[in-house]
Amino acid sequence: MKPYELIDHTADIGIKVRGKTLEKLFNNAAVAMFDIMAKPFPLPAKAVVKRFRITVKAQDRTELLIRWLNELLFLSETQKIIFSHLKFKKFSDTGLEAQAQGIARKHFAMQVEIKAVTYHELMIEEKNGFEAQVIFDV
Amino acid sequence: METTQIPLEQLDPYRYQIPSSYKEGMRVPGRIYTSDRLLNDILKDKALEQVVNVAHLPGIVGQSMAMPDMHWGYGFPIGGVAATDPKQGGVISPGGVGFDINCGVRFIRTNFKQEEIQDRLNDLVATLFDFVPSGLGSKSGLRLNQNQVKQVLVKGSRWVVEEGFGTAHDLDATEDYGAIAGADPQAVSDRAYERGKCQVGTLGSGNHFLEVQVVDQIFDEDVARDLHLFKGQVAVMIHCGSRGLGYQVCDDYCHSIGHCLTKYHIEVPDRQLACAPVESLEGQEYLSAMRAAANFAFANRQYIMHQTRKSFEKVFRKNWETMGMQLIYDVAHNIAKIEKHKLANGRERPLCVHRKGATRAFPPGHPELAPRFQKIGQPVIIPGDMGRASYLLIGVESADETFYSCCHGAGRVMSRSKATKMFNVKDVLADLESRGVVIQAQSKATIVEEASGVYKDVTEVVDVVAQAGLSKKVCRMRPIGVVKG
Repeated sequence: MKPYELIDHTADIGIKVRGKTLEKLFNNAAVAMFDIMAKPFPLPAKAVVKRFRITVKAQDRTELLIRWLNELLFLSETQKIIFSHLKFKKFSDTGLEAQAQGIARKHFAMQVEIKAVTYHELMIEEKNGFEAQVIFDV
Repeated sequence: METTQIPLEQLDPYRYQIPSSYKEGMRVPGRIYTSDRLLNDILKDKALEQVVNVAHLPGIVGQSMAMPDMHWGYGFPIGGVAATDPKQGGVISPGGVGFDINCGVRFIRTNFKQEEIQDRLNDLVATLFDFVPSGLGSKSGLRLNQNQVKQVLVKGSRWVVEEGFGTAHDLDATEDYGAIAGADPQAVSDRAYERGKCQVGTLGSGNHFLEVQVVDQIFDEDVARDLHLFKGQVAVMIHCGSRGLGYQVCDDYCHSIGHCLTKYHIEVPDRQLACAPVESLEGQEYLSAMRAAANFAFANRQYIMHQTRKSFEKVFRKNWETMGMQLIYDVAHNIAKIEKHKLANGRERPLCVHRKGATRAFPPGHPELAPRFQKIGQPVIIPGDMGRASYLLIGVESADETFYSCCHGAGRVMSRSKATKMFNVKDVLADLESRGVVIQAQSKATIVEEASGVYKDVTEVVDVVAQAGLSKKVCRMRPIGVVKG
């Protein structure tokens, strides 16, 4: 089962995403975002993997989620990559440090340009783990 | 998802009101411009709730308004118009402008009649597709260093013209002459520069497009003649914005202004409506960064127009002046502006007018228009969908109630995921072919998500704004060639 589902939004794209822990939720939200943006072609054996260390700080966990996703979008656009593996080294409600691996966009069929992650109707709820609703501006 | 519980009072056939008593915290009523028919679609999503939310903004003047192309957005509804009075604590909200700052439309005439180019149409569309980079993450042939981007942020279209890609005439035919005063490149982050440096002259993706169109109906002969428009004429429409630079500016300021809410004791119903007083340091800083991003968008459309002229020159082996490729006008439809308007008490005040998916529509004689538009008013460009039609309107005096604002397009009625379930690429392409439309797109997904059926009928939308006296119809154009991301 996918860890997220699409929400019907007239012009933009919304997701409802779940995770057993807050870290898993943040990871799944990022996976969902790149899943919407790009579908992989069969990867050639020599696809170069780029690695990044990402640090994000925020005032609360909702802001942290937005800043985390927007940071990944910024790197994805400027480095021309799609992120495939994300691992948190440090994680709290107000800050995180992650190691991220990305593969060049040329190995993907790009589907949708996500311009940004919005605060509109953003909710992080604790129920059997964590659940969040996120609206992307496309 | 329906918002039918929101009370709507019908004032006349095209005006509906949400009373300010509906929800605690509303400072003004909501005002919806629509028809009975279009209202059915509006009730299907959360757009009305967003009109109510906007009515909470400190210093809002008149009404929280929405145009007939309105639909659910984030923060403001798409089609939303709200003016605040800076002297009364009025605020500016990055969510009232959106991520694609100065997303807008440009309309260019030619001397050609359709029959004169029909046999070269495929070649023309292919050349435009080749000359104007489109699609996700597309890069421009124009690579700018940080200093050049800084100049673009201040000079807007003028920088592009000074580089040799246009004329002074183009600047006269652009909102704010292609450069909004008060832009500050220092207020724009390094990350925004990083995203923007390869993107002057790129179309982007989604609903952005470049279309070859034919004027197929004239409603106002005098204005059409004045603008050198005639039935059967070939024209070009360009729809795009400030690309990654604008998205980054909005993102940066959504955070910093979000932190202002406590400082200025402001409560808003949606965090995406975060705002700061226009006269505060934070408000002024956002305004100067937003203007810089807006100027970037004007420059983007100016350079795309240059590439369009080059494409025509290559295909028809004439220079663009001989082909009569003059710019009719360029409008912004995601923007906030400080403009002078008359309040209900008759006094004129500078107001901060947010237009989120709405177009400025100044009447004849407005001091901010170039001399050649003084007699006729400001051209207003309304793009429709890629299968049906687009419109050119003109500003009128009776639009003072909306601070001279009008609709911005057809307005979506269907989500992208629903579009993907309802349409397939083969059928959409067959439908376009049957309408005589040639298309080139980077992505099949875009073709399906932008199918005609996902939009309201632009003719119905335009009829509402014309009947409500927010602008006057000049002519209708139908697409014959489409370039998409």
